[in-house]
Amino acid sequence: MATLAPTLGQRAPRTARARSVRRHVFIYLGLVPFMIIAVGPVIWMFITAIKQDADLYLVGAIPFWFNQPPTWKNFDFLFHNTFYGDWIVNTMAISFWVSAITLLTAVPAGYALARLRLPFAENLGIAIFMTYLVPAIILFIPLARVVTELGLQDSWWALVVVYPTFTIPFCTWLLMGFFKTVPFEIEEAAMVDGCGQLGALLRVVLPVSWPGLITAVIFSFTLSMQDFLYSLAFVSISEEKPVPLGVATELIRGDIYFWGSLMAGALLVGVPVAIVYNFFLDRFISGITGAAIK
Amino acid sequence: MSEPRPPRPNLAAGVDRRRFLKVSGGGLASATLLTMLDARQAPAQIKGTTLRMLKWSHYVPAYDVWFDKFAKEWGEKNGVTVRVDHIPHLELPARYAAEFAAGAGHDLIYFVGQILTGHYYRNLIDLSDLADALGKKNGGWLESAKSCALVGGRWYGVPDFFISIPVLYRKDLFASVGMEAPQTWDDLRNAGKQLKAKGHPTGMQFSRCNDSNHNWRALMYCFGVKETDPSGQNITIDSKEMREALRFGKALYDEGMTPEVFSWDDASDNRFLASGVASWIHDAISAYHSTRLTNPKVFEQTFVVPEVSGPGGKWNVGEPNVWAIWKFSKNVPAAKEFIQWIADHQKEAMEASLGYNMPFLKDQYKKPMPYLGKDTKLAALQDQEKITAFFGYPGPMTPPAQEVLTTFIVPDMFTRVARGGDVEETMKWGVGEIRRIYAKHKA
Amino acid sequence: MTELSAGGVPPSTSLSVAVGGRVGVQSWWRTPTARRYLFGYTLLAPAVLYVLLLVGIPFVFSLYLAMSDASVGVPVARFVGLENFKTAVENATFYVALRNTIVFTLGAGIMKGLLGTTLAFLLVQPFRGRKIIRALVVIPFTLPIAVSVLGWKWMFDSQFSVINWALNKAALIGPYGSPDWPVWLGQPWLAFFSVMFVNVWRGFPFSAIVLLAGLTSVPPEIIDAAKVDGTSFLKRFRLVIVPMIAPILFIGSAFDTVFTLSDLSIVYLLTNGGPDGATEILPTLAYNTGIRGGALGRGAAISLFLFPLLLPAMIMLLRTLRRRQY
Repeated sequence: MATLAPTLGQRAPRTARARSVRRHVFIYLGLVPFMIIAVGPVIWMFITAIKQDADLYLVGAIPFWFNQPPTWKNFDFLFHNTFYGDWIVNTMAISFWVSAITLLTAVPAGYALARLRLPFAENLGIAIFMTYLVPAIILFIPLARVVTELGLQDSWWALVVVYPTFTIPFCTWLLMGFFKTVPFEIEEAAMVDGCGQLGALLRVVLPVSWPGLITAVIFSFTLSMQDFLYSLAFVSISEEKPVPLGVATELIRGDIYFWGSLMAGALLVGVPVAIVYNFFLDRFISGITGAAIK
Repeated sequence: MSEPRPPRPNLAAGVDRRRFLKVSGGGLASATLLTMLDARQAPAQIKGTTLRMLKWSHYVPAYDVWFDKFAKEWGEKNGVTVRVDHIPHLELPARYAAEFAAGAGHDLIYFVGQILTGHYYRNLIDLSDLADALGKKNGGWLESAKSCALVGGRWYGVPDFFISIPVLYRKDLFASVGMEAPQTWDDLRNAGKQLKAKGHPTGMQFSRCNDSNHNWRALMYCFGVKETDPSGQNITIDSKEMREALRFGKALYDEGMTPEVFSWDDASDNRFLASGVASWIHDAISAYHSTRLTNPKVFEQTFVVPEVSGPGGKWNVGEPNVWAIWKFSKNVPAAKEFIQWIADHQKEAMEASLGYNMPFLKDQYKKPMPYLGKDTKLAALQDQEKITAFFGYPGPMTPPAQEVLTTFIVPDMFTRVARGGDVEETMKWGVGEIRRIYAKHKA
Repeated sequence: MTELSAGGVPPSTSLSVAVGGRVGVQSWWRTPTARRYLFGYTLLAPAVLYVLLLVGIPFVFSLYLAMSDASVGVPVARFVGLENFKTAVENATFYVALRNTIVFTLGAGIMKGLLGTTLAFLLVQPFRGRKIIRALVVIPFTLPIAVSVLGWKWMFDSQFSVINWALNKAALIGPYGSPDWPVWLGQPWLAFFSVMFVNVWRGFPFSAIVLLAGLTSVPPEIIDAAKVDGTSFLKRFRLVIVPMIAPILFIGSAFDTVFTLSDLSIVYLLTNGGPDGATEILPTLAYNTGIRGGALGRGAAISLFLFPLLLPAMIMLLRTLRRRQY
């Protein structure tokens, strides 16, 4: 006992560190299963993307390692034997325009529903949401007509027109919740200063709401990337396709799957988006939190 | 047998043509015919127009490369800007539904997997003149060609080719249990049984994919099952032959197959063969060709039997490929001209597809057929037209037959029984579903 | 935004209103309330018109399809009322699809909720490498679904499955060919679990982030106050945290549920409803009947079947949500 006391005293600072280490170990252990589930397949996709074809079909080979030297030829194939470059440009352009249309419509709508105490506002808001319930499996048929009347068949502009049908409902509701968090007082102060209602919206409310706007843009982008059926039905020309459609329709030829290039094609768009996500994640978090907390 | 392989037509250079004539003295007749075909002038009206066509992604990728080039060259020759789009065959119906609703899209379309002639014929150009002329020129159409293109006595499509789905077996493995080339379904069952014990099971898809729809129908037709009467109006699948086929399917599974078959897609059996595990599979020869690349040793031992016979005879179920032209097509003349052109170049097309594209015209079965005649293992497929039937047999590929196909009722019936379901109950369910569908279409 | 075009104002009389408001014909139009209404409806108009034109009108057409005997080649067809819905419910396969759809959506929803919550609680702690880990776990959500599903198809392959390889190395299953070798997409329950799992895999990072946002936003004082009161963790979670993040939770899960209910791609690309209907859901049945099979009317009826059930549920949910937020 005599020796214990000094030891304890000596260890006092280290105990805090030990506690921190223990906490870290605990957290990391807790994260392991999640990382296996979420990231394991992604790592495996990456390894598949840089494997040689024959390596994929070796019976008894280690799927997580290279039994034949790794290769970049699957990436090379994407850019030289398919229109992958065009697909990326199209996807970016589609996302840009869809985000723009979504912001231009959902911001005012969300603001009006949240702040202006309009009669029937609730019903209108619900009606906008309800459009999300209509299944694409049937909707694409009448929409094909619309797209063609606009002269956009077989052009990625068709998707710019169609994708807002699902981004607007989502973002209107998201932004509606968000605008409620902006204190009435700053708006009133702006109006006293001579801004009209519109001026108050543009000069005061929007600048403090930009996390919400970023959130809306990120959602527009991600939702656009989830579509398959609309792009399949409206765009059949290779160089007009967005990435998901291009990869899923042109890297499976009959019964041959270009596995390596498929994975490479998915990762080349998915990973950069995840990185951008992370840049904005804190903003994004305050964006949705804004929507959540009045 | 002296007929030379037709050279890739060098259309610009008349000199080459003349030299060719001189060199190939023996094959003069065919060469002259060829010159006549090449000399065929397309109508001037199509000059300066644009032709858009939609095709699937062919199972032999090299064929698409050839085809795209072929179409481009045709366009250059005739002053037509040609644009060929390819999408996976399963997704064609969605695209056609969209094009039809929009009243715009491709000028020349293609049905494969799902034969939609019966659905869309009111909105397709009547191609009877073209089809009749082709038939006349080539000794007539196979009877089976009519079921995918003819509606009410008129041709609303021009059959291009069909895919045949034969038996691919491993000669070395069969020999190891003292067996020769399989002749009957019983042989296949027996081989599966013996070879599974040695670590070489077999497999036919029980899952929901194109191959399962074709493979089990082949077994059914060999057992004498008739899906409908020849008019396609009355269902005749509720028979003792169908029950026999279901029981046999279960026995094939129980004794010789890997349980993986319930999860397979169209490509899984190719990989199963290429991996060296399979003792036999029932698949198109694209599996044979891809094994050549991925596993040459297995390829050497892989042999082809057109089909095996059952108590009801020998029937192979193929998959037709059909040209059609929308009524709203902006360039009907060029589309018709192109159909004519590709039909006149069937030999090159068949060669480019490595013997995969089986012709629908009788004269094109003259031996040696392109590619098949050169490959001793595939030579037996040159009589394939005699045993080919399509879904709905012996009825035509009507809309209800099509819906029975796309909702996978037949593979599901085989799956139920193979998984231990009662045959009578499965029949009751399956026949009930089929009746419901046919009744809907009659109403 | 400043021009008040005719198209921008829903009631047709509003054009004169817009003009009137400026030149001052009628005094009511000059009141702040009137101006606010005018301003508000103008702001709403673009969004409302957009979805009305591009979803509303096509939707009416879909409803018409569902009540007709239309096929892909004959869109203008006989009106048959509720006949297609009746046909649907008389079909045994339909019930399988309906049951699977509900179990799929609920089951995946619960799994996404559980995994997401746990992950959010881990990620809310400060620790080294938190940002990197946060970036990594969102990747499944950012990959295009049509392609990542193909990746899963290869991972579930009956012969070359990487999952089976790992399980085999961990000595949990035997080698290829042994009876306990799982065929992920071939055994009915495994197949159902597999397609559900892919949905969960894609969705749970998103649930985690939404919940993380909620957790970060709860002021620490409130949690401390609750701690002082001696309430247990679970009780704190239920009584303090959940009410605060409820709105975003509801809206997030409402959208996710609707998305899952109508999502075709995962099942279509992995199993197409097989084996023997074990993974058949309403979207695959509708697609295979209506689009690939060509029976447009019946396909439309199947795909719209849940609409009348979802509509009141969603309206109630959204009403409650809005009330809470005011």
